[in-house]
Amino acid sequence: MLRTYSLSMPAHRQSKRTTLLDRRRVRRIMEGVSLWLAMLLLLFVQPIFAEANEREQGVGQLRFVDNQGRATESATLINTDYQVDVTGLIADVHLKQTFRNPSQNWREAVFVFPLSEGASVYGLTMTAGERRIVGEIREKAVAKKEYAKAKSEGRKAARVEQQRPNLFTTHLANIPPGEAIVVELDYQQAVRYQSGLFELRLPTTMTPRYMPGKPLNQNPFAGPRQWQGGWATPTGEVPDADKISPFTVRRSDLQPDSHNATVVMNINAGLPVSRVSSPSHKLNSTWNGHSVEVTPEQTTIPMDRDMVVRWAPARGMAPSAAVFQEQWQGEDYLMAMMIPGLESEQRIARELVFVIDTSGSMAGESIRQARQSLMRGLGTLGPDDTFNVIQFNSQTASLFMGSVPANGNNLARAHRYVRNLTADGGTEMAPALDAALQDHRVETVAGNQRLRQVVFITDGSVGNEAALFRQIRQQLGDTRLFTVGIGSAPNMHFMREAARYGRGTYTAISSTSDVKRPLDELFGKMESPVLTDIQVDWPQSGANQNAQPRRIGDLFLGEPMVQVVRGHQPNGRLTMSGRLPDGSQWTETLNLENAALGSGLHRVWAREQIDGLLAARTLGQSKGEESETTVQAQVTALGLEHQLITPYTSFLAVDKTPARPAESALTSDSVPTLLPAGSSAGMLRYPQTATWAPLMQALGLLGLMISGAIGLLRRRVFV
Amino acid sequence: MKSLLCLFTVSSFAALAFGLWIPFKALIAQELLELAWAESQARQQQVRPWPWADTWPVARLNFAEPQQSMIVLDGAHGESLAFGPGQVFGDGGRAGPTVIAGHRDTHFKSLEHLKRGSRLRLQDRDGQWRSFRVSATRVVDSRHQLINTDALPEDALLLVTCYPFDGLESRGPLRYVVEAVATSSGYPSVVES
Repeated sequence: MLRTYSLSMPAHRQSKRTTLLDRRRVRRIMEGVSLWLAMLLLLFVQPIFAEANEREQGVGQLRFVDNQGRATESATLINTDYQVDVTGLIADVHLKQTFRNPSQNWREAVFVFPLSEGASVYGLTMTAGERRIVGEIREKAVAKKEYAKAKSEGRKAARVEQQRPNLFTTHLANIPPGEAIVVELDYQQAVRYQSGLFELRLPTTMTPRYMPGKPLNQNPFAGPRQWQGGWATPTGEVPDADKISPFTVRRSDLQPDSHNATVVMNINAGLPVSRVSSPSHKLNSTWNGHSVEVTPEQTTIPMDRDMVVRWAPARGMAPSAAVFQEQWQGEDYLMAMMIPGLESEQRIARELVFVIDTSGSMAGESIRQARQSLMRGLGTLGPDDTFNVIQFNSQTASLFMGSVPANGNNLARAHRYVRNLTADGGTEMAPALDAALQDHRVETVAGNQRLRQVVFITDGSVGNEAALFRQIRQQLGDTRLFTVGIGSAPNMHFMREAARYGRGTYTAISSTSDVKRPLDELFGKMESPVLTDIQVDWPQSGANQNAQPRRIGDLFLGEPMVQVVRGHQPNGRLTMSGRLPDGSQWTETLNLENAALGSGLHRVWAREQIDGLLAARTLGQSKGEESETTVQAQVTALGLEHQLITPYTSFLAVDKTPARPAESALTSDSVPTLLPAGSSAGMLRYPQTATWAPLMQALGLLGLMISGAIGLLRRRVFV
Repeated sequence: MKSLLCLFTVSSFAALAFGLWIPFKALIAQELLELAWAESQARQQQVRPWPWADTWPVARLNFAEPQQSMIVLDGAHGESLAFGPGQVFGDGGRAGPTVIAGHRDTHFKSLEHLKRGSRLRLQDRDGQWRSFRVSATRVVDSRHQLINTDALPEDALLLVTCYPFDGLESRGPLRYVVEAVATSSGYPSVVES
């Protein structure tokens, strides 16, 4: 800009001097100049017109572009409303998705959205204007066929199906031009309780996942590209990659009235709640006796991060056990929670391996959180401990050849290494797991085997979860795997399951200001004793067979045991036993008679049962074609009985009367999700590749021409 | 009134000068980059074209028709695109897929004239040339399409610039992508002759 001013100064002086010169000469000069300017301007007018045709659209509106580069219709708008009711340990969520079609055409909207891991969707309603259609559960293939039929016949239809345990897709056909259709979902999820704090997480967006493996469409130059509809193409390892990767866009790319959420939450914990907090949003909480109403301070929140709400029981009221009961279709369901009162003892010599994800999806705020977490982890190392740091993206690299003693020198090197970590490249997790779990030797310190713990810091943005879980299970040995979820929208399903298969626990970090508390808790747990070989005995005979989850993992300090059982009356005493690290037995009992009334327990039970069946299939325990179909049949039956969405059952709501005239066409629109707050785009974005030059040249010339014309006119008038 | 007119004239001149300054800068910078490129080839290390530059030449890009040659800089960050096209992905033209972005108003204006079958080549720091042939051109919307660098074949070269070519808006969402694949022969015959 400096240069510009210095250039323009002589021009200024010149124009002043001209007024002193002979008028006729001035006129001739001006006429000449304006002629030239007119000529030059002519060269620029054409592109201006071309441009005007291209973009008469509003600013910041997502539009679709055909392959000739013509902008087509503006994108479907999505807004969501969450109505959350927490009763005890179960949160019941009424999720309202409003799809608005701002275009002139009939639309089909496809929206991939995340729900909390372990969410069981049990209801669907579609509302279009006055009409309200209640959805029904169907087998996935049947739902798909019926939906396609309704779609082609011009009837309004909504279908919700599950892609991953925490990833769902809404298909909504025949949205009339300029109108909105509301899809309402009912789902419930378990509230997490540990170390005296309840936590509920409402995901609103997802971190784009990395799809390892070679693209199935081998030669991208050969056929038409699959990039439309999402950036990922199906790969050998993730054949449904295109189904789980919606466009991720920045907030500025969208209209301001899209991708907003409202949240109203009612916490009825069954015990006095002393404080409600959130690391992700500012909250307004109103106490109403024992129940608390919680809303975010902003009325609408952008759907660019998970909403995390935590509440603590009043001092001295922290529960150590709880029992809930429910009757559903003549069956009794009981849910029991127990927290073993473990006490920490002397330190055990450990080998800690930190594995940090430095893939592209971690860029931005996430890698800062990860570095901070790792630094904190290094700080907890004792003088007897050994450690190593492994980073992975497309490649895996470790700081030391093997684990080294945690002395000052090594720690200083590690600190330096961690400080310089940057995020770039793919997320090839398998070799990193290899390095962390497989390549090590068993060490003993003073007769005791060194405790081997792996801390895995990642956003879990991978598409091949099942293969990774299998690998963890196969390679684990005596190692314990702890996952730390990073970023504003980590893949919590991966975190939880990886930790479960790795016999550790999972932790989530939401922001750089929220690193301390959860990590101190995690590292505290890692130092404290673990309750293993846990057995839960329900008093009624045969009830153990119906208890879910079937196998309870190891329990760390402050962690509860939660089990749901079917067909059990609320009487008798529940016995829970386990083994402490020193080999001694630990037992506690719980009286089931004071069970409080709960709701939705049967869905928790069904969901756990389904998870168990699917996990067994994932791990290849059930072999052959036959068991594959048995699992499918069992899961389908459970889904239909309990009205739940499963990998094999979907919800479908279809209008009876056709709405779209046969002659108008239907266009399909993939509704994008917002890029999680603070993260840089994982995939390579197209850079800005234009300058102000043509605009400035055109403006300058236009301005000069106008001023020339005015100057001439003034002279004509006043002479 | 007169002073208002004066001010208007002056600001118009300023805008024009600013508008002309950008292509001028792009032209001058390439001359300086030629020197830096020669030096980095001779010394086999990164050479900054001027002391405060935040980028350095990584490759030379040649178009056969229309004949044009330019130095490619590292990265497309900050102001570096004003001086030369930037390599957003790749390894200095040595191996693997390469993605180069440039301004449509300056260096990559001539992308408009590249057609299917057009030849271009890329020189790395060791002086090795790789030849490419344009396989396709297309227009993408940068708001909902990203470059999946994992899906790019090893021998791909992607040139990216803004679209439309005669557009005025500098922050438009459309991009023009020229896809090229490496040809087996070392030198394309057109450039050789």
